[in-house]
Amino acid sequence: MSGRGKSTARRRAGGRAPARRRESGRSVAEEITVLVNTLRELAAIRATAEDAASRILDSAEGLLAFADNEEAKKAEEAILSIMTACGFHDLVGQRVTKIAETLDRVIATRMKAEKGRKRAAPSSKGRITLEGPGLPGMSDEAQARIDALFRDN
Amino acid sequence: MAVDHSMPVLIVDDYKTMIRIIRNLLKQLGFANVDEAGDGSAALDMMRLKDYGLVISDWNMEPMTGYELLREVRADDRLSRTPFIMVTAESKTDNVVAAKKAGVNNYIVKPFNAATLKAKIDAVFGE
Repeated sequence: MSGRGKSTARRRAGGRAPARRRESGRSVAEEITVLVNTLRELAAIRATAEDAASRILDSAEGLLAFADNEEAKKAEEAILSIMTACGFHDLVGQRVTKIAETLDRVIATRMKAEKGRKRAAPSSKGRITLEGPGLPGMSDEAQARIDALFRDN
Repeated sequence: MAVDHSMPVLIVDDYKTMIRIIRNLLKQLGFANVDEAGDGSAALDMMRLKDYGLVISDWNMEPMTGYELLREVRADDRLSRTPFIMVTAESKTDNVVAAKKAGVNNYIVKPFNAATLKAKIDAVFGE
């Protein structure tokens, strides 16, 4: 499992929150519990994707071992396609991590707001902000744009 | 410069799945001497112990990112000429430009296929 997820708010969520009711009808503590459970679901998605990718790769590597003889070479391209498709695990993991980090921030903000404290936004000056994976189907376009950048200089 | 298929290649990624995928693709391309690292810091330690002919690195890793690894490599006299390909989901132009300014030799956006990896390796070695 990759260690990209952050869990500070999840740890904080173990503490007691005042039972003030919000518009949703849930108390803040109940809302935070829902969010923490959502984070657990996201972690489970990541683990499931990792397990599936790993098992598919095991099978593809097994098939590739048979591709040494000339007949089986025809299957090689298909097997490599299966392998590269397993990269879905990385992209799913990155998207899930982004969502989990957003939830972490929401939880932290709600808990701090409940305590009547302002949460100062961290300064991003001088730092590179990563966006993670783009929308599905956009990677060919992005690769072409990047190739052009490398050709231009 | 022709591609030397016996050169040591270092794959840097925090996702074991991606390392396995790239390792398998490299094997099919004829590269058998492949090592792996789980983040930039581990990769840098390995690069200081062994001469690599090519580094293929993800960007988004902790504690040291691929971008930070690239900057460390380019700032190190002994390592600065090591060919470096970034393989990442990051496609924002500003970030690609930052990587280029930092000295990356080529850049692959995930998801990618075997043909793209081969093309970028060939491009880096001028084939």
